[in-house]
Amino acid sequence: MSTAHDTAPSPTLTPRRFHLGSSQLLALFAFAAAVVLAGLWSPTAVAVVVAAGFAAAIPRADQGYGARTRVVLAVMAALIALFVIRFWPAAATDAIDTTPPPPESPALLSWLIGLPIAGAIAILFLPRQTPGVLKVTTLGTMIATLGASLLLLQVPMGRGFHFNQDVVWMPRFGIHYHVAVDGISLWLVVLTTFVVPLATFASFGSIETRIKEWCFSLLLLQGAILGAILSLDLFVFYIFWEAMLVPMYLMIGVWGGTNRIKATLKFFLYTFFGSVLMLGAILYLAYSYSRLNNGVPSFDYFELQRVLPPRHVMLWLYGAFTLAFIIKVPMWPLHTWLPDAHTEAPTAGSVILAAVMLKMGTYGYMRFCMGLFPEAAGEWAANLAGVAVLGGILYGALCAMRQDDVKRLVAYSSVAHLGYVMLGLFAATPSSLEGSILQQVNHGVSTGALFLLVGVIYDRRHTRMLEEFGGLAKVMPVYATLFVIVTLASIGVPGTNGFVGEFMIIVGTFVSNKLGHFNGIQAVGAALGVILGAVYMLTVVQKMFFGPITKPENLKLKDVNRREILALAPFIAFIFVIGFFPNIFLSQIHGAATRMENDLEERMSDHPAPKFYVGPMRLLPRRPEATKPVANEPEGGNDNGNAKGSAQ
Amino acid sequence: MTNIMFALSPLLVVALGSLLLMLAEAFGAKSAAHGRQEHDGTAGLALIAAIVCLAGGAAAAGVWMFGLDHVEGIGAVAPWLIIDRFSLFFDGILCLGGALAALLAGGYLREHRLERGEFYALILLTTLGAMILASAGDLLTVFLGLETMSLGAYAMTAFRRSSARSAEGALKYFLLGSFAAALLLYGFALLYGATGHTDLAGIGASLRGGVRSAMVIMALVLVLVGLLFKVSAVPFHMWTPDAYEGAPTPATTYMAVAVKAGGFAMMLRVLMTAFGDPQSMSWSSGWPPVLAAVSVVTMTVANLIAGRQDSVKRMLAYSSIAHAGYILLGVVTMIRQPTMGGASVLFYLLTYTVSTAGAFGALILCGSHGKEAVSYEDLAGIGKRHPAAALPFSLFLLSLAGIPPTAGFFGKWFLFRAAIDGGFYWLAGIALVNSGIGAYYYLRVLVYMYMREPAAGAPVAVPMRSGYVSAALLLSAILVIALGLAPSGSLEVAISAATGFAG
Repeated sequence: MSTAHDTAPSPTLTPRRFHLGSSQLLALFAFAAAVVLAGLWSPTAVAVVVAAGFAAAIPRADQGYGARTRVVLAVMAALIALFVIRFWPAAATDAIDTTPPPPESPALLSWLIGLPIAGAIAILFLPRQTPGVLKVTTLGTMIATLGASLLLLQVPMGRGFHFNQDVVWMPRFGIHYHVAVDGISLWLVVLTTFVVPLATFASFGSIETRIKEWCFSLLLLQGAILGAILSLDLFVFYIFWEAMLVPMYLMIGVWGGTNRIKATLKFFLYTFFGSVLMLGAILYLAYSYSRLNNGVPSFDYFELQRVLPPRHVMLWLYGAFTLAFIIKVPMWPLHTWLPDAHTEAPTAGSVILAAVMLKMGTYGYMRFCMGLFPEAAGEWAANLAGVAVLGGILYGALCAMRQDDVKRLVAYSSVAHLGYVMLGLFAATPSSLEGSILQQVNHGVSTGALFLLVGVIYDRRHTRMLEEFGGLAKVMPVYATLFVIVTLASIGVPGTNGFVGEFMIIVGTFVSNKLGHFNGIQAVGAALGVILGAVYMLTVVQKMFFGPITKPENLKLKDVNRREILALAPFIAFIFVIGFFPNIFLSQIHGAATRMENDLEERMSDHPAPKFYVGPMRLLPRRPEATKPVANEPEGGNDNGNAKGSAQ
Repeated sequence: MTNIMFALSPLLVVALGSLLLMLAEAFGAKSAAHGRQEHDGTAGLALIAAIVCLAGGAAAAGVWMFGLDHVEGIGAVAPWLIIDRFSLFFDGILCLGGALAALLAGGYLREHRLERGEFYALILLTTLGAMILASAGDLLTVFLGLETMSLGAYAMTAFRRSSARSAEGALKYFLLGSFAAALLLYGFALLYGATGHTDLAGIGASLRGGVRSAMVIMALVLVLVGLLFKVSAVPFHMWTPDAYEGAPTPATTYMAVAVKAGGFAMMLRVLMTAFGDPQSMSWSSGWPPVLAAVSVVTMTVANLIAGRQDSVKRMLAYSSIAHAGYILLGVVTMIRQPTMGGASVLFYLLTYTVSTAGAFGALILCGSHGKEAVSYEDLAGIGKRHPAAALPFSLFLLSLAGIPPTAGFFGKWFLFRAAIDGGFYWLAGIALVNSGIGAYYYLRVLVYMYMREPAAGAPVAVPMRSGYVSAALLLSAILVIALGLAPSGSLEVAISAATGFAG
């Protein structure tokens, strides 16, 4: 790391043209020496040092990024290089062959959930007069959570569930505190722990009022999101699912734009309505289970998966769950809260909402609707896929084209992008499922970055109207470059993350047998959506950055500052990391997606002719992977005190 | 004889306490004439009243812990007062509500220049009436308890003598309440005529034995109307908003919490014991469908009207009507799930008590020096100016809305769960949708507190400083969070209370 420090040329000494002064020469020598030293140690170290050196050299000296910026960028680059090398699937398989996977600490997931919540409570006791302490505490907690979440990556996920912790909470009702992670949730967890600190860091530049409440909301939100992704007990899931709403409600309502109150109420009520109906369905499902299981109740995911209700009951239950999730995604025609919420939310709120919270809808559909009610999901897949293509991908894209507010446009583009994710889930082929899971991460990265970028220009001009801009590339060259990169990722140009996910979804849709006779048309519709995506995103780039500078206010705009570039750099890096090395991600997803597809096929093949189950409600035998949590139960019981400590 | 005294100790503690309090007030008034000691005099009464209530609750807990099976001669007062786990649980809720209301009054009455010691005596006597009601096993004691409770409540409503609204609310409450009491009494008379019994168990036995006549049906209808009036279910709710708005806020708190709980205790006793025969409890020819319809109408109408209020106090009044609708759903559930349905009603009443008392208490905290915070506008921006007042308010409102992890969520959860287990899917569905509607108006308070600034020149609410109110809020907040994080223990208690009652 010290090399990186040396490489940084001092901005005052550097003229505009390329010029080697003595300090630069010194830095070059130091860098070369570091590379040689690293080479003596291990080839991995060479790559890491080279990456760090390049990252430190990249920022343009005349924009005034000081040595500290360069150091932090170098550290980030080094860490990301290390990440790629360490988790490159070939290397990972070698590691498995030689050494057994590290032991899984059952309390790790509770730490992940508990750390942010404990941080939020700690924030309450800190004085509001010291914003610096509040900010450092918040970021420190989030970085600790990020570090803890990286420990998850050491374990190859395969088909099963890992880091299982199952503690009895309310025995009379069969409510357990049961958390586990698998290939479906793994990357969403990492995405959450990755995006939230960056959004928080960026927000400290623009949020100046009521820092204490802001930090509290952010930490609570992160804890609730992680809890909802990780819990495998429907009761616990519901608690975290509802707990997510309140901090986001406050974030939009307190720090939002002019119409924030309408937007935040709309957001809350839409989501709350969906979820109370889901609560009814959860209760009914648990009740049916306890009736079939001699009165022994359970809210455990694997246990409730065994309930096989007749068709009309299943459709009701599936409908209640699906409604809750497609409101959250959101899918047409229930998407109208999203543009309002995004337009009014502060930048960090938009980033977290788009990058993480919307994924709760897609994740929930995948885990609960498809996992608990496969027959009903199969029956409705074709119709809902039509809605996803027409209402989501195409209508969302057309709406985005007509927007003149950049943030609203990005919000509608989210509707379109999540249409792909949902289409992939409805198609339910291994390729489309993997693509969907990856695309959730992709959308988080690229849309999160887009919202951050829109926030940058909004902080400078306090407007987001397209006609206010033009020719910005001349005054803000770094900003323009970053915006174009993210735009390309959002469109899905090969080499960026968006391409991998969309390609896999479209291919998977094309070969799907779940979509009736329309799979071909739907794949074509989705591909058409990619073109529309290019149209609206490139229009934005062209209108904002090229052409003459029409407004005099734009002449004096400052380029992205240190804080902004540090918040954006990891997003940019991961756009390319996912684009070039998708296997790092897919190798962890593959097993779970295959399992999901097999389970669906198995359940569907049980009743081939009418494609749904008729007859009385009954209980299916336990699944092989479901036996694991149950077998672990006494072990989980030992961790009782531990889990309580971190869960509360 | 000592044993029965021990079993009756919750009632006796409150009764003796109220008498002592009246004496203390009478003798304390003398020194008040000399000047500034007055403040300490009446405020000290608040502490005494709260301690008496809590002592009553502690006595109930002590009897529970000791075990009713070990108390000999518990049946000595049997037909008139029944001491069982059910009544002890209600004693606990009522004493808790009384203590919270007394503490709130300690801050409120001083701040708004209403300091007269009768208020605390009224709280204690009313609590005593409600406790008698919860234990009453005979039509006579039911009526005795009901009137003791109601008269105190009428007086408390009219406590602010100079205010026309207070008088209007009290008069409405008094007239309609007397009317309902008359209907109830008429129903009781018919019931006695038809069965020849005044004790509830005897009535139940003879109805089970096949006594069935037009007189019984008439009696059932009249009793139902009387009961529904007391718990302010739609369409017998007309008095509630006016009485709640006109009354001083601690009295409102008390009515919303303890009087309602007493009403539900009476309802459960009368319906389950006297009208507990299979025919009266059947869906085709008994009270359940009536109660179910009333429940649906109550929660829907109250939620819709609550959303349109300008006054937070009135909104909370409608919210208490809506919650009565949810509880009625639990009462209906008891016909198929006697234990779990009953337990969910009891647990819901507990969570409702702490959340509602807390919400009214936070509203009290937001006003000072004769200026009460009443409307939404009064609360604008208070989250920024006085976070210590806004934070507990938000907690209680979230609990009333049923957002986890608060007490209110678990109350709803167990209630809806019992309803679904009992097969009342449609009722549970309607209640779920209603709790979604309910979220709207609770959140509106949060919107005003945290997201709006007061209009220029508008009077801004200045929170009062009062150790009593803070103590009441702290107690409720601790209970809301504790019941939200670890509901198992208290639910077990509710289940065993309901088991003793239903079995």
